[in-house]
Amino acid sequence: MSDPQRFLHPETVKRIARLDLRARYIVEGFLSGMHRSPYFGQSIEFRQHREYTYGDDLRYVDWKVWAKQDRFYVKQFEEETNLRCTLLCDVSNSMRYGNGALNKYEYGCTIAACLAYLLLKQQDAVGCVAFADAARTTVPLRSKRNHLDSILQALDACSPRDKTDLYQILRQAAESFPRRGVMVLISDLLVERKGLFKGLKLLRSRGHDVLLFHVLDDDEMDFPFSGPTRFEGLETADQLRCNPRALREGYLNALNAYLEEIRRGCAGNAVDYVQLRTSQPLDAALAAFLSHRLLKIQS
Amino acid sequence: MRSRAERGNEKNMPSFVHPLLLWGLAIAAAPVLIHLINMLRHRRVEWAAMEFLLVSRKKHRTWVILKQLLLLLLRMAAIAAVVLLVAEPLLSNRFSRLFGRVKTHHVILLDDSYSMSDRWDDTSAFQEGKKAVARIGGEAEKQLQPQSVTLLRFSRVGKHGRSTQTDFLAERVAAGFSDRLKKVLDKCDASQTDAGPVEPLKALDELLGDAEGERRILYLISDFRARQWNDPADAKKHLLEWQAAGAEIHLLDCIDRARPNLSIVSLRPEEGVRAAGVPWFMEIEVANRGPAPAKDVAVVLLEDNVARPSASIPLIPPDRTAKERFQVNFPKGGWHTITARLESDAIAADNFRFYAVDLPADLPVLLVDGDAKARDAKFLDWLLNPGGAVKTGLRPTIETPRYLSAKPLDGFAAINLSNIDRLDKSAVAALEKFAADGGGVAFFLGEKCQSIFFNRELYREGKGLFSLPLKGPAELLVDRLEAAPDVRIENIHDGHFIFRIFAERRNSFLQSLLVQRYFAADKWRPPDDGSTSVLARLRNGAPLIVEKKFGKGRAIAFLTTAAPAWNNWARNPGVVMFLDLQAYLCGRAAAPSRTVGAPLEVSLDPAKYLPQVRFVAPRDAGGASATFDAAAGPDKMLRAALAETDLSGYYEAVLTRTDGAAGDDRSEDRLYAYNVEPGEGELDALNQMQLAERLKGLNYRFDRAAALQPAQNETRGDNLRDAILYALIFLLIGEQLLAYSASYHPAIPKNLLAAGGTR
Repeated sequence: MSDPQRFLHPETVKRIARLDLRARYIVEGFLSGMHRSPYFGQSIEFRQHREYTYGDDLRYVDWKVWAKQDRFYVKQFEEETNLRCTLLCDVSNSMRYGNGALNKYEYGCTIAACLAYLLLKQQDAVGCVAFADAARTTVPLRSKRNHLDSILQALDACSPRDKTDLYQILRQAAESFPRRGVMVLISDLLVERKGLFKGLKLLRSRGHDVLLFHVLDDDEMDFPFSGPTRFEGLETADQLRCNPRALREGYLNALNAYLEEIRRGCAGNAVDYVQLRTSQPLDAALAAFLSHRLLKIQS
Repeated sequence: MRSRAERGNEKNMPSFVHPLLLWGLAIAAAPVLIHLINMLRHRRVEWAAMEFLLVSRKKHRTWVILKQLLLLLLRMAAIAAVVLLVAEPLLSNRFSRLFGRVKTHHVILLDDSYSMSDRWDDTSAFQEGKKAVARIGGEAEKQLQPQSVTLLRFSRVGKHGRSTQTDFLAERVAAGFSDRLKKVLDKCDASQTDAGPVEPLKALDELLGDAEGERRILYLISDFRARQWNDPADAKKHLLEWQAAGAEIHLLDCIDRARPNLSIVSLRPEEGVRAAGVPWFMEIEVANRGPAPAKDVAVVLLEDNVARPSASIPLIPPDRTAKERFQVNFPKGGWHTITARLESDAIAADNFRFYAVDLPADLPVLLVDGDAKARDAKFLDWLLNPGGAVKTGLRPTIETPRYLSAKPLDGFAAINLSNIDRLDKSAVAALEKFAADGGGVAFFLGEKCQSIFFNRELYREGKGLFSLPLKGPAELLVDRLEAAPDVRIENIHDGHFIFRIFAERRNSFLQSLLVQRYFAADKWRPPDDGSTSVLARLRNGAPLIVEKKFGKGRAIAFLTTAAPAWNNWARNPGVVMFLDLQAYLCGRAAAPSRTVGAPLEVSLDPAKYLPQVRFVAPRDAGGASATFDAAAGPDKMLRAALAETDLSGYYEAVLTRTDGAAGDDRSEDRLYAYNVEPGEGELDALNQMQLAERLKGLNYRFDRAAALQPAQNETRGDNLRDAILYALIFLLIGEQLLAYSASYHPAIPKNLLAAGGTR
């Protein structure tokens, strides 16, 4: 039996050169496999009645209920406004690493493109910030269908370079996008953790829902190297000549400790954390995003 | 010159069986080189997550470096161990001493008697012995412990005043020793002596003394012939002493089996007058040492090195000898040689026999008669020198008894005393000295003879020259009823030389002999010491002819007259006996047989010769000559001696006379024939079992010389091969464990792991 998601594997996606086509291919492929429409209803839809309390807007009093029962109830509706989603995409030099079909940068951009395509398709506003040590490209929130091109051009134009300074980026994002929305951070998080958590906390304090896609390459997760190797830091000047197998255990321990720290930090700041490998099918990010939205709506 | 310290360091240097392979230790540097090359050839990876890598390195850096160093060392050690394993290092002196090992002294006794020249294929017993010696020396040179070697050949043991000459005496084995040993051995060859093991063992006791602070191994390299080892009591006694002193004893047998061999046992003249122009007979005796009879054995004969018709012996049974006689006749006097030679066989030395003789023109014989008419002496003179064409080789001289004390007698070959009434004491003394020096004296009795004088002065209770006491003249009564002859000769067919005329069967000469009167013995019986024997008796049992050995000479008493006064002997064909008697008495002239190894001593009168003697070795051995000064002996005679007579053949002594004019050739040659001891040609050898039986009680190791493989713990040091092998195994195991621990093993592919898990 063939795997229905085989077309979403990075190896397959890599064959599609253009990012917009890649996003469309992924999203449409993803959606065609679902039985229930993932589209959200318009935000004017009634949800429930609640007994009137002082200060409620009299416009939402349901007069028909008052006429029948002589009590004041107000009508409550679904979200009234469009979803505003800001994609914060890491294009620092560390994202250049990748030993599989897609490197972290390509994988992260593909996720961003897919999410933008999906959101724009349901009329939500999507903005994008490509950043390294500072925001290199900022695309404002728009809900037009042709806005996708702007986002994709912005991502495409940013080749990975420079170090990452997440706190500065998150702080800028909080200031640049004051209205509450969904902040989707796509990064390898090879940054100083204190600044990361501080930035996330700031976003959360501004009322943003934050979804964190932590993109790591298989090599970074498994460290399969052997033989004399000289490692040269992508964002630092560090160099290390070693036998990788001798350091593998220590590396994995340090990595796991780091991941655990990230998880805890995200949980502590009520940030949804999704760890992705560049070898994973790309719909994983979409699935995570949709489930995140569903949970938010239900709560 | 190297200092003592340098030599000491050299002594402590480790030694290897294959030292050249030590160059392979350079390969031990390979892991370092590979490591350095890997450092240069490393893969370059641009890496994002440096943070974790640096943390890991910081945490494990010390261990990683330590493991890497250890791994490097282990790999180097493993390679070095492989090289050492192949080079086979030997435990050094320092360690050896810890284990109580001390200096080893290899004492090698090499049998070089001529039986060791036993040849087969392209080798010989002596060659095999030399190879064994070379192997022992070669192995000793490889050892770490101090080694010394003593090499003594059997024939080099001092005897006859000659000192023992060792090839090596406690020689310290140093680098190049085996080459020196080889040079010495190349010059060695089997001697022609019959030297046995006892004398060398005795000589070693004197040469080496106690084995203080050294371990001795005695190698006795020989052919173990039955002749010398059938009753090895003396040799065993010495070997037991060596064993008691803590020495290890190795017997190395140089032959694989006994081979047949023919030996000339003797070449000697028969009794008789040997003078120029007189034919005489030589007897040659050949022994068959093989298990099969030898047929038609040809003996090549040379007279004065000129071939003459060979002698042929039709059959020699196994382990028996056969004799053949041949006549020789040298027309001129002087030195002559007779050489006999057999066909080539296993042993060459005993195929030759040499005989040298100084033939006089004639032999002077003194005839002394006590009667003024000298009837007996004249009769003998006529008999010994008949004149005309008949040549007896004897030159008789008639003298009165006074001559005996007045003139020297040593110029005569024999002295005949007939009808002596009395002699003064000086004459008796001169006679006795003549006989004691090897001369032959014959007494013929007669009417003038006085029993009292003979008994008191000449017999002297058996101590004198005369062989028996006399009672007085007696008549042999005629017994016409009895057919027995008057004279009865003892063992006539295998008897005395002088009776050979009567020895032939169907010989009637004896029957016609008549004796009327004789001197009877006075209650006399021949003594048990065998010095005196009755050669012939009268019909009545009374002794008639009695011989007495006196010193080197002999005296024969003829108890009747020489002339036909008391008997008819002179009128009978039996008169030939008188000629044979003279030949017998002249036997001193026969040259003594000399055996190889015995010194050649020449005695010379200082009044006649200069005190220098030039000795010339046998021409077959190169004819080297050496001149020796003669030393005065106790008898005022000069004596010169040649000690080196290890080869058979003719040795020549050249003397210089003092008389003669200055321009004359005053040199005088003397020839001496030296022969090998024929018994050494008996090649019967003892096998290992027989030897063990005879050497019961002695702990020794027996090996074939050709298969000599010195045991590791004897001539080698302690070989560390096994220890290194175990160390190498541990090193390799340790290397694998450490490499695994240091994650230097290649990663197992995931698909293989999965496959393994599924199974």
